[in-house]
Amino acid sequence: MEKVADRNNREGLKGWLNPGRYGWERVSYWLQRLTGVGLLAYFVGHIYETSSLTQGPDAWNAMLELTQTPMGHLILMLVIGMSTYHSVNGIRLIFTHGGKGLGKPGRPDYPYDAISLNYRQKSGIWIALILAAVAMLYGASVLFGGE
Amino acid sequence: MTMLRESQIMKIHYITGIAALFVVAVHIIMRLIMPYDMSLEYENVIANYHNIPYVILLESILVLIAIHGFNGLRVILLELRQSKAWEDGVTILTIAAMMGVIAYGTRTIIVVNGMGFE
Repeated sequence: MEKVADRNNREGLKGWLNPGRYGWERVSYWLQRLTGVGLLAYFVGHIYETSSLTQGPDAWNAMLELTQTPMGHLILMLVIGMSTYHSVNGIRLIFTHGGKGLGKPGRPDYPYDAISLNYRQKSGIWIALILAAVAMLYGASVLFGGE
Repeated sequence: MTMLRESQIMKIHYITGIAALFVVAVHIIMRLIMPYDMSLEYENVIANYHNIPYVILLESILVLIAIHGFNGLRVILLELRQSKAWEDGVTILTIAAMMGVIAYGTRTIIVVNGMGFE
């Protein structure tokens, strides 16, 4: 008899990241989680970064020398893209969890595509990706353009 | 272990996420009302921390994102593995981390705000 522990976590991270099984919805699923973890890491780093203010202007300027570099700006651009995607896709998910945009239940016919994974959901994912790209371009113009 | 149902926790997750969108938008706009590099100068940043409405905004961002972020991490970790010990451990660790980050960030806000009275 199979033990309970054996049924848990069969595929682990591999199953979590596998984009082949459910198409764009799976990509959206792990992008939402990866961007979430990335943003949490940035948030904790940002709290640490701003804590240097308590040690006066020298400590703050030393921190800026570390973070306001081309690499620092690239990381900020990534954060802008991640936060835009996470927000827009998150709003899509809130509607979806509330039952909006899922379509009406219907008979499963060949090739058995789930009705819930419809064009509305796919459009939402694409809108999130496009807005993230636009936000990153705007961020680049501010960070590298010297505005 | 949890005192709230998961459905209630998810409602809190969504509400903190949407609220964070608005307060973070204001936080970013404050960086753009003057040239970006100038907005990061020590005097300008300290001036932000002496503006009481802005201090309230910063504390709101801190609390909202800490709750949303660490609950999101908890959900991810619970999706990866399930057992009573794991679920209890993850819940305790994420709540402790959330409280630690909120305490550390609040300390920065209070200390920097207090610098104006020196």
